[in-house]
Amino acid sequence: MTVLTFPTPGADVTAPQLSPVPLLAAAPSFDLDRVLASIDTMAAQKPVAAQIVAVANSDDTSARVLADILAADVALASRVMKLANSAYFGMRGRVASLQLAVTVVGFTTVRTMATVALTGLDDESRLPEDFWAGTTSVALAASLLAPRFGERPQDTLCLGLLAQVGVALLHHNDPEGYREVIAEEPTFAGRRAAEVRRYGISGTRLTSVALEQWGFPHGMVAPLIALDDRSSADGALLRAAFEVAARLTQPGYQPVDVAGLTDGQLREDAVGPVLEQVAQDADDLRRAMLDG
Amino acid sequence: MTATPAATADPRVAPEIVSSVFYGAAVSNSLALLVAEMVDDVPRISWGNEGAMHLLGYALEDLRELPVAHLLPSLRGAELRLLLRRERTARMNLPIRTASGVFTECVVLCTPTPTGRMWNLRVVSADNEQERALRATADAHERRFATLTERSPVPTLLSEQGMRLAHVNDAFCSLVGLQSEQLLGTGWMACIHPDDLDHVIEQVAVVLGGGDGEAHARLLQDDGSERRTVIRFAHLFTPGVGAGFVGTIEDITERLAFEARLAHQANHDPLTGLPNRTLLAGHVAERFVRGQTGLACLFLDLDDFKVVNDSLGHAAGDGLLVEVANRLRAVVRPGDLVARFGGDEFVVVCEDVDEDDAVTLAERIGTVLAEPVRLGGVDVRPHASVGVTVQADEHGCAEDLIRDCDIAMYQAKNGGRGRITVLDQQARAEARDKLRLVADLRDAIERRDITLLYQPIFGTADGLSTAVESLARWEHAERGPISPVMFVPLAEESGLIGPLGALVLDETCRQLVEWDRLLGRDGPCRANVNVSALQLDDNLRDLVFEALERHRLHPSRLSIEITESALMKDPAAARAVLQQLRDLGVELAIDDFGTGYSSLAYLRHLPVDCLKVDRSFVAELAEGHTEITAAVIALAGSLGLSTVAEGVETAELADQLARMGATYLQGFGLAQPMSGARAAAWFALRATEPRP
Repeated sequence: MTVLTFPTPGADVTAPQLSPVPLLAAAPSFDLDRVLASIDTMAAQKPVAAQIVAVANSDDTSARVLADILAADVALASRVMKLANSAYFGMRGRVASLQLAVTVVGFTTVRTMATVALTGLDDESRLPEDFWAGTTSVALAASLLAPRFGERPQDTLCLGLLAQVGVALLHHNDPEGYREVIAEEPTFAGRRAAEVRRYGISGTRLTSVALEQWGFPHGMVAPLIALDDRSSADGALLRAAFEVAARLTQPGYQPVDVAGLTDGQLREDAVGPVLEQVAQDADDLRRAMLDG
Repeated sequence: MTATPAATADPRVAPEIVSSVFYGAAVSNSLALLVAEMVDDVPRISWGNEGAMHLLGYALEDLRELPVAHLLPSLRGAELRLLLRRERTARMNLPIRTASGVFTECVVLCTPTPTGRMWNLRVVSADNEQERALRATADAHERRFATLTERSPVPTLLSEQGMRLAHVNDAFCSLVGLQSEQLLGTGWMACIHPDDLDHVIEQVAVVLGGGDGEAHARLLQDDGSERRTVIRFAHLFTPGVGAGFVGTIEDITERLAFEARLAHQANHDPLTGLPNRTLLAGHVAERFVRGQTGLACLFLDLDDFKVVNDSLGHAAGDGLLVEVANRLRAVVRPGDLVARFGGDEFVVVCEDVDEDDAVTLAERIGTVLAEPVRLGGVDVRPHASVGVTVQADEHGCAEDLIRDCDIAMYQAKNGGRGRITVLDQQARAEARDKLRLVADLRDAIERRDITLLYQPIFGTADGLSTAVESLARWEHAERGPISPVMFVPLAEESGLIGPLGALVLDETCRQLVEWDRLLGRDGPCRANVNVSALQLDDNLRDLVFEALERHRLHPSRLSIEITESALMKDPAAARAVLQQLRDLGVELAIDDFGTGYSSLAYLRHLPVDCLKVDRSFVAELAEGHTEITAAVIALAGSLGLSTVAEGVETAELADQLARMGATYLQGFGLAQPMSGARAAAWFALRATEPRP
C-alpha cells in the first residue's frame, strides 16, 4: 500500500512518501501525522476560503465583510448564492445579492462551505462513492432534529455537512484501502470501527481535530468526539442523524432504535416525518453544495 | 489556524533569565503547566508546576510517570497523537481526570519540543467562574425570552436563517392548527396562502438586509379555512451567527370582516340587500368610457307604490319592494347590476347591449314584475314605468347616463302606467332646459330678483282693505315673466323652496315696516304669506319668528297661508307646526279650502283663524251654484272662523258673497296685485276717500 499526502484540491496526487514510525498502533504504512499536517497546508491553497474560515464566526463579522471576501472566489460565491436560493432556505430565488445570500444562509454555513472548498469536498471525483448522498442526509437530518435536542438547526446542518471531512481525508490518503473499508463495512458505525482498526482513528474523530484546529466552536467539535460514546449526550443528535441517513442511503440497512441511540431523547415515531423531509430535500441541498 | 513554531529558547538569553522564567512558571498558581515525554513508547507526565498540582490535585511525585492517557481518558486509541503532535502545537477542549476521579473541562495547549519526544502542556480550566457566570446570565436571558414568547398570546415566529424558522410559539401553532414540528424550518411556508407567499418572502429579504417589514398575508388553517393577518418582521442579528427575524402576527380577520360589513352597509340597501345609489354611481363610473357605447341604464319606478303603502301598510310596502328586488335579480343577465335608487325606484345597469337589447330586457322585467304578489291577503300586480338610456356621444360622464334614464322614466310615467320609454333628444333637451332654469332660479333668489306683488283683501262689513296677500313674481331676463305655477314647484323639486320662502317672508315684513313709515295707520294692518307644504316643519316657527324680530313687527301683522292639501299630507305633524305658529301669535289661514279632502272632524282641532274659499267655487256662483261656497262659509261660521273668498271678479259677486256671510273678499274685480310702492299710493288714496 502506498501512503499519500493529502492532495490539495485541483492538484495532482503527490508522489508517494515513506511513513515515519507511528506512535501508536495503526495501519503500518499510514502516516496520520502527515494527514494532520496537511490540514494546515490546505489553507495556503485556497486563501479566500481559508480567510472565511478564519473570520466567519468572530463576533465583529458582518454579512458585508464576508460578502466582500467571498466575492474574490467566484466559484464559492456562486455556490453560496445557489444555496441561499435553494428550497432549503425557502427564499424562492429572491436572493439577488451576495450580502443577502450570506445573511440568509448564516455565517456558520458560509464558513462550512468555505471549509468544504478548502478540503476539496466539492470535487466528487476525489471522494468515496455516494459521499454527498450520505453527507447531505446526515446534515438535513441533524438540522431537522436540532430543535428536539435544544440545538440550532443552522449549526447542526453545518455539523452534518462537515462530519465526514475526516473520511474524505482518509480516502484521499488511502483510496484503495478506504475502498476496502467501505466494502467490508457498509454501515456508518461499522465503517468508523474499521477506520479505527485500520488507521488508529475514525474519520469523524479526524474531522473533530481539523475543526478544532480551524477554530470551529467546541459545540461543533464535541458531538464528533462523542459520536460513538453512547453514554454521552453530546453525540446523541449526530448519532440519530447518521441513523436517519443510513436508513435512506444504505440498501439493506437494519434500523437501530433511535431511542437507544439518543438515551430516549428521540422516539421512533418522530423519525418518519424526518425521513420523508430528508428524502425530499437531500438532492436539492447536494446540488446547491456542489458545482454544476 | 497557522501552526505555531515549536518554542525554542534563544541561546543568547542568559542562564539567569531562563532560570528566573522557569522559577516563575514553576511556582505559578494561576498557570497549569505539565511536561510529557515518551517513556517506553508511552507518553507520560515527567513534571508539573504548582498550578498543575493545584488544578489536578496530585502531588508532584504522584504526577511523575503518570500516563498522559490516564489524565485524558477521552482520547482513546491513537487519538492521543492528535494532541501530542510532533511538529506543531495542538489545542483541544478535553475533560481532564483529576486525582479525585472527577473530570474537569479544560483547554489543553500542547507544544512539542524540537526533539519530538517531549511536549509542554498548558492546561486552562474551561470551567472558570467568570465564564460560568456569563453562561448562566446568557442562559437566563434565553429562558426569559423563550418564556416570554412561549406564553405570549401574540403568534410569534423566530427565524435564524432565511425563511427557516427556529422557533414558533404556542399562539402561532393554535392559529394555524399545527404542531411546532410541522412548522419549523420551512414547514410554516405551507401555511401562507400561495398568492401571498412571494410578498412575504420579499419582506423577509428586506428585513434580513437590516430593514423593517410588514406583509398582509392569508394564513391557511388545518381545517382549510383562512385567517387574514398582518405579519410584522423585525431584524434580529446575532454576532458571529448572522441575521434572522422575529415575526409577530396580528389576526385581522374579524376586523376586516367588520370593515367589510360596514362597507357593505354603506353601499347596500338594508331592506332589499341591493346595491344602493352610491355603489351604483361607482359601478357606472368604473364602466363608463366617454365616446363608447354599449353601456345601458334602466330606471324603474313602481306605479302606485304609495297606494300599496297607504292602504296595506308599510310592512306590505316593504314586502313589495323585497319581492320586486328578488324578481329583478332573477330576471337580469349575470353581470348586470340591480340597484335600489331610493324609495320605489330601481336601476339596472347592463354592459355590451344596444337599444333593442335594453328595451327587450325592460319588457322582460315588465312581464316578470306583473306576476301577482300576495300582500296582506291581497293580490297586487306590480307595474313599473321604465326609462331606458343607452350610452351615446352626448353623455359626457356616468352621471349624465343615470340622469337621462331618470328623465326617460319620468316621461314613461307621464305617458301612463307600466310604460317603457327610451330617452329621445327632445326629452333630453327639455330636461337640460329645466336644469338651466333651476340654476337661474337659484341666482334670482340669491340676488333677490324675485319680486313681491301685494293684492288687497277687503272686509265685507265696511268695504275697507286692511290686509294684503303677498304674491311672488319672477321676471326672467331672457324668458320674461315666469309663473309661480311653474317656478314654485321647480323650487320645491330642486331644494330651493326654503330660500324662496325665507325671501318672501323677509321681504313682506320689510314692506310692512315701510308702509308703516309712509302711511302710519292708513297702511295695511296685516300681510298674508303663503307657505309651501315642504316648509311645514319644525324650522318654520323660527323662520317666522326671526323675520318678525328682524323687522321689529308684532306677530299679529302676519297671517300664514297653508294649502289644505299641504295640511293633509301629514296632518299630525302639520297640526304641531300650526300650534307653534299660533303660540307665536301669528294668524293662520287654510288656502284653497274645499279642494282637498279634509276631515271635518280634524278641521275642528286645527288652530286656524280663517278659511280661504277657493276661486273655483266662487266662480261657480256666477253660474248659480252657491252650494259649496255657502257650505264653507257656514262651516267657518259654526267653527268660529273667518272666511276670505278668492277670485272675486265683479261687484255683483262681491255683493252676493257679502250677503252670504263671507268675512273678507279678494280678487281682480276689487284690486289688482301691485308693487309695494303702488300699494302705498293705493292705500294713501283710499285713506283720503270717503268711507263707502
